[in-house]
Amino acid sequence: MRRTILFAACCLFASVASAQLPGLRRRAPTPPVPVLVGIDALRADFIAQTGTDKVYFGGDSSVLTPQAKATLGAQAQWLRRHPEVVVRVEGHTDPSDTRDHALAVGARRAAEVRDYLVLMGVPVAQLSTLSWGKERVAVMGSSPDALALNRRAVIVLVR
Amino acid sequence: MIARFSPLLALGLALLGAPAPAQETAAVIAIPPLTTPEEKSTGAGSPAAVAWQASQLIASDLRTTAELVPVGPNQKDYYSFPEVTAPTFSRWRTQGAKFVLTGFVRSRPDGRLTVGCYVYDVTSGRELGRTGFVVAPDEWRRAAHKCSGLAYTAATGAPGIFDTRIAYVAESGPANARVKRIAVMDGDGNNQSFVTAGETTVLTPRLAPKAGTVAFVSFAGGQPHVQVADLGSGQQRALVPDAAMSFAPRFSPDGQRILFSMQTGANTDVYVASASGGGVERLTTSPGVDTDASFSPDGKQIVFESDRSGTQQLYVMNADGTGQRRMSFGGGWYAAPVWSPDGTSIAFARRMPGAGSRVGVIKADGTGEKLLTNGPFDEGPSWAASSRELIFQRAGPDGRPALYRITLAGGEARRVATPQDGSDPDWSGALD
Repeated sequence: MRRTILFAACCLFASVASAQLPGLRRRAPTPPVPVLVGIDALRADFIAQTGTDKVYFGGDSSVLTPQAKATLGAQAQWLRRHPEVVVRVEGHTDPSDTRDHALAVGARRAAEVRDYLVLMGVPVAQLSTLSWGKERVAVMGSSPDALALNRRAVIVLVR
Repeated sequence: MIARFSPLLALGLALLGAPAPAQETAAVIAIPPLTTPEEKSTGAGSPAAVAWQASQLIASDLRTTAELVPVGPNQKDYYSFPEVTAPTFSRWRTQGAKFVLTGFVRSRPDGRLTVGCYVYDVTSGRELGRTGFVVAPDEWRRAAHKCSGLAYTAATGAPGIFDTRIAYVAESGPANARVKRIAVMDGDGNNQSFVTAGETTVLTPRLAPKAGTVAFVSFAGGQPHVQVADLGSGQQRALVPDAAMSFAPRFSPDGQRILFSMQTGANTDVYVASASGGGVERLTTSPGVDTDASFSPDGKQIVFESDRSGTQQLYVMNADGTGQRRMSFGGGWYAAPVWSPDGTSIAFARRMPGAGSRVGVIKADGTGEKLLTNGPFDEGPSWAASSRELIFQRAGPDGRPALYRITLAGGEARRVATPQDGSDPDWSGALD
């Protein structure tokens, strides 16, 4: 449901923008990929095509789960189709980690994701990494569920 | 910053006689008002006004300690100038005081003030120490803090903790978009100033031993990296320009070098660099996360945390990186070790499954581990100059952090007031 809405929104945006700027219209390599009209549309398409811009990790771990690898596989496919898009992989920990260890673990998570994307054929020049440690809490609270939702790496489309 | 007495006035910093042994229970110290030989003016900034304010500040300083209970100042206890070095002891004895602090403030022809203090053992009538300073009229607080330190040292044998500075991160805004600024304040919470403006996320300020410089982590420019700021000029620079992510800075005891962590690939190791830049040297090479390194006060050893065993534990190594050995073996995760100024102990944060994070101490030889706080969101301990007390960060259930102090002797943690939420505290040594 959410996917459809996002996709519809991005296509609407795409058609409006292309109507205004016909000269900038580019031919898409494969049918479902919308016209490139800016980073917001790309972000929406990335989510629509791959399901999510995040992967999650176990406590104190930077090991990629089978689920994370499946997500990253889809994201890698999308990124290979969009070699002009530059992404930043941002690593996060849950707030129960200590400040400096959190920075290191966030960096390790981001590096694991980047390395897997490279393994899946994404050119390394398309990728950069950043650790936020525990500085950008996504979900408040100290319940196990809240903590788990904070142990994440986010693929941020930069341009 | 403040000039010591000329020898002419025959006052020095040296303590006379051996300091009294550490008190198991708090000792009463009488604080009669500081006196002045002048009578002409009682206006703001006059010796009489400063003497009264300084007396109150000394009592207020000592009230924050676990070891001393100040009594006074009361105007009725006023001494004349000549009586400062010859106080009556019998009246203090009958009031149960163990120590008495006397002192004076007098103006100088150059417009500055001379502040002198004396501490006596009430029982024996012996002088335990004296100190004196020449200060600008608006610097009287520092002189009063030095007097408080004199009393604290006389009572405990440990360095005074009052003429110090505390760096921390001042936080505001919603939990998912905190505005963080590096802040510095006097040890008593006075004289707040900001080093950064809040436009970028900043973490973990660490003061140089004399608090003239602060190193911290900044996200400016995209990657977290160690910045070094001169607190006098306000000038800032990156410790290691164009490096990968660097963080967890901490000065060496002589202030000449800075320990920090740097990340390459998925690996984080401990490095050391000259505080003025350059001379980067790698000290650890394990494939795990090695971070939060802290020198022993003699500069010969380094304590740090590493998850090379699978969970974060404390390790000690020689200053050149050799002889790495594990020193903590308890369950859970040990983090953020800091070596005490007297060299005997190491403070740390320890997380335990289902029990949150607490602050504790362990002897430098790895024995005698003791948890001091109850948690569940305590971290980031930093030592007072006395080595008898810690400042640390405690987050509430809503995630908002505040600064707290706790003594090694035990008792409840006490809140350190800051104008905004506070995290990542760092307490300097006594200033010159």
